Amino acid sequence: MEFLAVLLILVLGAVVAVWLYIANQGDASFKFIVDQRTDFTLKALTKDTAVFSTTVPFVNNGTQDGTLMDVFPRHFLPCEQFDAVDTDTRLTLDSANRTDGYWEANIVPKGTGGSIILTVKFTAKSGDIIAALKNMVDMPIDIIYQVVARSPWYLAKTRLIMTADEIHKALAAGQQTVAR
Amino acid sequence: MTEQVLELKPVRTRILTAKDNIVDVIEQYAKDDIGPNDVVSVAESVVAITQGRMVRPEELNPSFLARVLCRFVPQKGSLSSIYGMQAAMDAEGKWRVAWAMLIGMLGKVVGRSGLFYELAGEQAALIDDVTGTMPPFDKYIVYGPADPSGVAEAIKQRLGCYGAAVADVNDLKRAAVLGVTQGLNPKEVARILIDNPFGNASQKTPIVIIKNYGLAVQKAAE
Repeated sequence: MEFLAVLLILVLGAVVAVWLYIANQGDASFKFIVDQRTDFTLKALTKDTAVFSTTVPFVNNGTQDGTLMDVFPRHFLPCEQFDAVDTDTRLTLDSANRTDGYWEANIVPKGTGGSIILTVKFTAKSGDIIAALKNMVDMPIDIIYQVVARSPWYLAKTRLIMTADEIHKALAAGQQTVAR
Repeated sequence: MTEQVLELKPVRTRILTAKDNIVDVIEQYAKDDIGPNDVVSVAESVVAITQGRMVRPEELNPSFLARVLCRFVPQKGSLSSIYGMQAAMDAEGKWRVAWAMLIGMLGKVVGRSGLFYELAGEQAALIDDVTGTMPPFDKYIVYGPADPSGVAEAIKQRLGCYGAAVADVNDLKRAAVLGVTQGLNPKEVARILIDNPFGNASQKTPIVIIKNYGLAVQKAAE
């Protein structure tokens, strides 16, 4: 009986030790820092399209390395709210700029990070993008990311707002640059 | 073996998938370059992909044991995620992996490292976690190939070459030959491939022809 009690205490002690080890080890923890993003700037302009981009930093401030399995943008511009443009959004890792819209799974060591370039392309349904964007509204964009690390995979999202004011300013600045 | 006559010739291919047969691919891309004295080597991860030996993390259902044991694998290891660990358990049996982990830990206590990978089975060492392979397989866990020696024999039979090998080589100067045709020395082939002529995955050269291997063997025997 005494032997069994000692054995039970040993097993319980081992379980507690493993639990403490895991709890202390922690996990990766990602954050897209949208309030530190750059202003949207005009990257390209044609008669019927305008392309804007911003850079958004991210960090793994957890205690373990983590993998960003997938990261993609989701814009919210329903036709009920604004029907003058078709919208396309995509993003890429700043340090490995891809143009195909594919996110390559990427290990982010603990305590490090990087940044993404988020690109938004508006195409005027009328054929004139300057006129189409005149009454543009604020547009929320979610950055959705899938994480694989020490714990089960999960999806998370961070929202930023591309404001109409910002679009107009970027458009005006871009047009001035083109005019020069 | 005298290596003065040896030449390593990487062969570029398109991205191969589970729809491909690796022997057909070698024939399609390299047939004209392969002679009777050559050894054809092929990257193990690409062989595994053509065999459909891969799984997405989302398709796995990690066990409690996998969730605990992965915590004892260093972060750089493919089994450090619960999905990599579960994949190893699916391939080798969860109790075998658990037992190997326990013995591995005890081994470390007495200064003997590497026991876990010796005891957990071949797949535990061969599994590549996500990011381990080039797109579009970067989001997959890729197992080691099945029957690598059989694959090597099939390549030799079809291409009429001196021999064939399925190799696991990386940029960290680590080379292992998982399967070879009869008569080839796997350690010798691994030594020849140590500088990773396959390049990194994005170079898309999963086949390397070791030209004149048979001649080198002949010269060494003289």
